[in-house]
Amino acid sequence: MERSSGPTKVSTRACLLAVALAAAGAAGVTPVFAADEVNQERLLNVDKEAGNWLHHHQNYAGHRFSTLKEINRDTVKNLKVAWTLHLGGIEPGGIWSHGGLEGTPIAENGFLYVTDGWGSVYKIDAHGGRGALVWKMDPKTDRDWAGAVACCGVDNRGVALWGDLVISHTLDGRLIATKKDSGQVAWQRSVADPDKGEVITGAPLIVKNMAITGVAGAEYGIRGWIAATDLSTQKEVWRTYTIPGKGEPGSETWKDNNNAMAAGGGSTWVTGTYDPATDTIIWGVGNPGPDWDNAYRPGDNLYTDSSLALDADTGKIKWHYQHTPNDPYDYDSVAENVLVDIPGPSGPRKLALEADRNGFAYAIDRTNGKFVWGLPFVKKVTWTKGLDPESGKPIEYDPNKSVQTYIASVTPSRTNMETDICPGNMGGKNWPPTAYNPDLKLWYIPVIESCNRIKVEVMTPDKLKPREFWTGGGPSQPFRITGSVTAIDVTTGKIAGKLETPFPNLGGMLATSDLVFTGQPSGEVMALDAKTLQKLWEFNTGGGVNAPPMTFSVDGKQYLAILVGLGGAWDKWFIDSTPELKKIQPGSMLYVFAL
Amino acid sequence: MMMSNKLPAAGMLLVSVVALNFSAYGQSAQVSDPTSAGKAVFGRANCMGCHKWHGNGGGGYGGDALSLRRTELTREQIIETVGCGRPGTGMPFFVRGAYDEVKCFDMNRQDAGPQMPPEGGTFLRPKDIEAVADYVIAHIKGAGEPTYAECVAFFSSSSRVCDVYKAESQKPDHATANTGKSQ
Repeated sequence: MERSSGPTKVSTRACLLAVALAAAGAAGVTPVFAADEVNQERLLNVDKEAGNWLHHHQNYAGHRFSTLKEINRDTVKNLKVAWTLHLGGIEPGGIWSHGGLEGTPIAENGFLYVTDGWGSVYKIDAHGGRGALVWKMDPKTDRDWAGAVACCGVDNRGVALWGDLVISHTLDGRLIATKKDSGQVAWQRSVADPDKGEVITGAPLIVKNMAITGVAGAEYGIRGWIAATDLSTQKEVWRTYTIPGKGEPGSETWKDNNNAMAAGGGSTWVTGTYDPATDTIIWGVGNPGPDWDNAYRPGDNLYTDSSLALDADTGKIKWHYQHTPNDPYDYDSVAENVLVDIPGPSGPRKLALEADRNGFAYAIDRTNGKFVWGLPFVKKVTWTKGLDPESGKPIEYDPNKSVQTYIASVTPSRTNMETDICPGNMGGKNWPPTAYNPDLKLWYIPVIESCNRIKVEVMTPDKLKPREFWTGGGPSQPFRITGSVTAIDVTTGKIAGKLETPFPNLGGMLATSDLVFTGQPSGEVMALDAKTLQKLWEFNTGGGVNAPPMTFSVDGKQYLAILVGLGGAWDKWFIDSTPELKKIQPGSMLYVFAL
Repeated sequence: MMMSNKLPAAGMLLVSVVALNFSAYGQSAQVSDPTSAGKAVFGRANCMGCHKWHGNGGGGYGGDALSLRRTELTREQIIETVGCGRPGTGMPFFVRGAYDEVKCFDMNRQDAGPQMPPEGGTFLRPKDIEAVADYVIAHIKGAGEPTYAECVAFFSSSSRVCDVYKAESQKPDHATANTGKSQ
């Protein structure tokens, strides 16, 4: 459809709502798509269109790996800014003085689709070696309503494509379908409710005509969920709560008399992955609430801090693996699970990899949820002596105890009301995504090398109020926090390399055949050698990198794109650990590089 | 077909809701309130970033911001705290030159050392600080739990930020309001 390489004006809006979509309005009918439209076939076979980047995490397995080779170890030294585009969305709202950029651009046939923190979607024509805005869809997010209950910033991590629609979320809880050609909103639906402390920051995952949505709000007493919306009927197909209801399996892991599970947290704000072979969605679940007063919620608190495998058609839980039972640290397992196949003695091992806020990287057998290996990927872990080699549980974990204390002298509790923890409560590894090179079998983790101080507040049911923090304490930052890129050899489960960086990695990774790309909140975008992690190229954007790089091609030329604009939780809650970052200005800009 | 029906409807609904809220809430904004200048400062200096719009502050990621509703600080003490910040805490100072040419708690920057409070995102003139103190005394200090009327008076906008208090006032038991059982 839109293949013109000349300048596309915002005003020229060809309203070509395909016949196919009207037909898709009838439930259960498989939509018929025109050539440029995104369908399940294309989403399953993204390797056939290497110049595009169709999934939030590049492919269903979450690899964030590109086979484009024009920018490589030999040529990367010549990488230069090709063009930039200023975006908006840094307005204040709620408790936030400004928004930031955490999104991954989506690229299709020479057009980019990006979001800003308040959920505006921008379609950009990248033909001809420059970027021209085609349209902007501003969802008019209710900033005060949503911004007051967004624990960790004014964030939106990007869009997905389906049919001739761009699918996106807003912080105030909506799922929006925008017509790809015109930028007109086709329909929208409320999925999350900020009145309950629910907001949405993640990009949607598209599986078989459904948009899968995760929710944030474990710091505000939500009961977390993952929800699927039918993109033809706009109706909810399923909603799976990450905290079981009374009497359901797992409810026995909430042993209190306060009905803690009703506000038990378990957010799902990082986009998950999908294994088509078993029709399974794998999604990470965040911390229990209140975060630091784990005596309020005795028991293991399923399915918080877990990886969940869901049947894609029904949302039914197939298996779970919990990393930090009865978590007293705010050690989410909300991170993406990266799906990899490794040759084994009896055929390929099908693994799900997760780099946890608790400082450990895990490989789980994704056919049954069993632990395979785990190791610390941060330099300093103080809360446990390590993982049990059989179960993968922290060695000090005692299933007969209602309230876990792990290494009690450094664990926040009602008898240890102020203590220092390593990793700090941001991790480890936070939302910034990992990348995986399937040729080298190396997995690259964007690391926050950290400790911080936790003060516990004893919670009582009367303190639970709608739209108010439900954290049972709070962190402070008496220690300097740095970062690293840590590579893990997935065939051995051992660390293959670590490049230390002056600042925490708040952006995430991109892998290509012989390079990895990442950024720093102090402004640098860099390329590293995929095997040695030696730095081969660097450019300072003059802003704070808080988003992952991606790559695409148009007109036969490869480009590297990254959103730049420091926002998120860091510059409000954690900045004291990185004082130099106080001088980084709010900003909102897309950088695109080429040889 | 379903879709073509919904397109214009959704758009019009949004517009009309916005318009309604403007007119409804607009009337409740009291132009004659002598503390409205202080309310503006409360927003502009981002007091609400930690103390929240209702002043109750509270724990969470940002540490424990003082509850201005339960505070016993006098007008003069509030003025001093806004101007000089609170040493050893996250409460910033808002007077240009504090701890340099303007002594605070009898300390300069050197005396304060590691206790030095952060600098506010904006500097306030003495008149602004008095205004925000007057606003806190008149509308926040000593008030009970936040109400719908207070919220609407604060925001006087089209936001849904206050709806939760409306629902609250209709429910006898606040503690169960967010249990998620209704889902």
